Amino acid sequence: MSDGIVDLFNMSKPEKKKYKDLEKALAIIGIESPNICYQCSKCTSGCEAMKLLELEPHSVMASAKDGFIDEVMQLDEIWDCVGCYKCIERCPQKMSPVDLMYIIKNWCVLSGKQLPGDYQKLLQNILSTGYSQNPIDVNDKENKSWNRKALGLPEIKTLKDQQKFTKILSELAMEGLK
Amino acid sequence: MKKLGLYLGCTIPTEQYGYEMSIREIMPDFDIKLVDLENVSCCGSPLRSINLMMQMYLSARNIAICESNNLDIYAPCSQCHLSLSETMYRLKNSDKLREIIVKKLKEEGLNYTGNLNIYHTLDLLYDEIGLDKIKKKVKKPIDWNIACHYGCHTVRYSDILRPDKAEHPDKMEQIIKVIGGRTKDYSEKLNCCGAPLMITHKESALTKAGEKIKAIQARNFDAAAIVCPFGGRMLDSKQRKAAETIGEKLNVPVFYLTQLMGLAMDKDEKKLGLNLNLSNNEVLG
Repeated sequence: MSDGIVDLFNMSKPEKKKYKDLEKALAIIGIESPNICYQCSKCTSGCEAMKLLELEPHSVMASAKDGFIDEVMQLDEIWDCVGCYKCIERCPQKMSPVDLMYIIKNWCVLSGKQLPGDYQKLLQNILSTGYSQNPIDVNDKENKSWNRKALGLPEIKTLKDQQKFTKILSELAMEGLK
Repeated sequence: MKKLGLYLGCTIPTEQYGYEMSIREIMPDFDIKLVDLENVSCCGSPLRSINLMMQMYLSARNIAICESNNLDIYAPCSQCHLSLSETMYRLKNSDKLREIIVKKLKEEGLNYTGNLNIYHTLDLLYDEIGLDKIKKKVKKPIDWNIACHYGCHTVRYSDILRPDKAEHPDKMEQIIKVIGGRTKDYSEKLNCCGAPLMITHKESALTKAGEKIKAIQARNFDAAAIVCPFGGRMLDSKQRKAAETIGEKLNVPVFYLTQLMGLAMDKDEKKLGLNLNLSNNEVLG
């Protein structure tokens, strides 16, 4: 992180504390400091969300490594990442834009951001049943409907203690990665 | 006889029934006994953007359940396989993470050591069973030109052990050849199916799926093979919607690799769940 720089678009200054927190969170999952990014843009050239949704991981990295964390938190594009892992695979510095974006999105959620798209539904399902969705009936090509039982598949397994499961996950949700 | 804990995750046992059926149908022929696990849940993968601790807890939880049964895990879903493998890797390398998660798991009466193998369909077939044994089971070779779609999480990222190489995977092609098929590389092979975008950008997700199928069609393949339920959801179940989204006529039969193997092993098509594939696979007869 560089000292003394100012973003001339909005006169914001780097946020030292948030930058340190970011370094710490990355270190816990074994990823180095954003400092090591030298902006080669290999991540963006392979990014699966770049063409359609204009996500540019190297720009996210540029803002993050200079400490403009709030700016990254406000970027809608970070929610467009498909998690294809091409960026971490191809980064010559072994940095992980995908994980950096996960951490910053986690912070957005902790700070009360409303979850986009179907995330709320997914989360609710997992908390209440353990699974992201319930078994659905599917149609074959002749429009005949099938479920697990009709297909001869065993019933889907349920949680032994759903209340405890939900309690633990909710506690972890409040903590986050720190 | 190799006994494995079958960990299906969410997508396979709730909608991609053809994958599960074909797995259950062919694996016993290779002396693999699949054990259904009680008390399992989602692997946590869809929660990464929301909270990485929840994601890792869920993965560690399913690993611990398998450990309590003294079994290695077979996770046929690539997203689950990555989440479980990554969590095991991260917990091994961070005392702090392991401490927090192990403590929480104890509250559920679960014990985590992270000392087991995690298999995927691809490495189970290629590395554990092997091409020779597969070849011996072929009764009705398939004679089609097949495009292999690996799926992002099957091959990336290399720090975590993956079922095949990140940039030049070829295990699926080798299996296709052994069961009688033909195949070749194509430049869009590593492109994403679009599945994760269904949560936030449905149209972009379907566009990505459509573009992938369009590329396969343009190269005159007879069909495509997949090893991940998200590929099944996007390239097969939603092929018609993907075609509408990009305004193209698309008609590429899509099969799970395990379904193609079942066909080559002369198994009953219904038991492989072939009638549930919505892409037009009748053209192949």
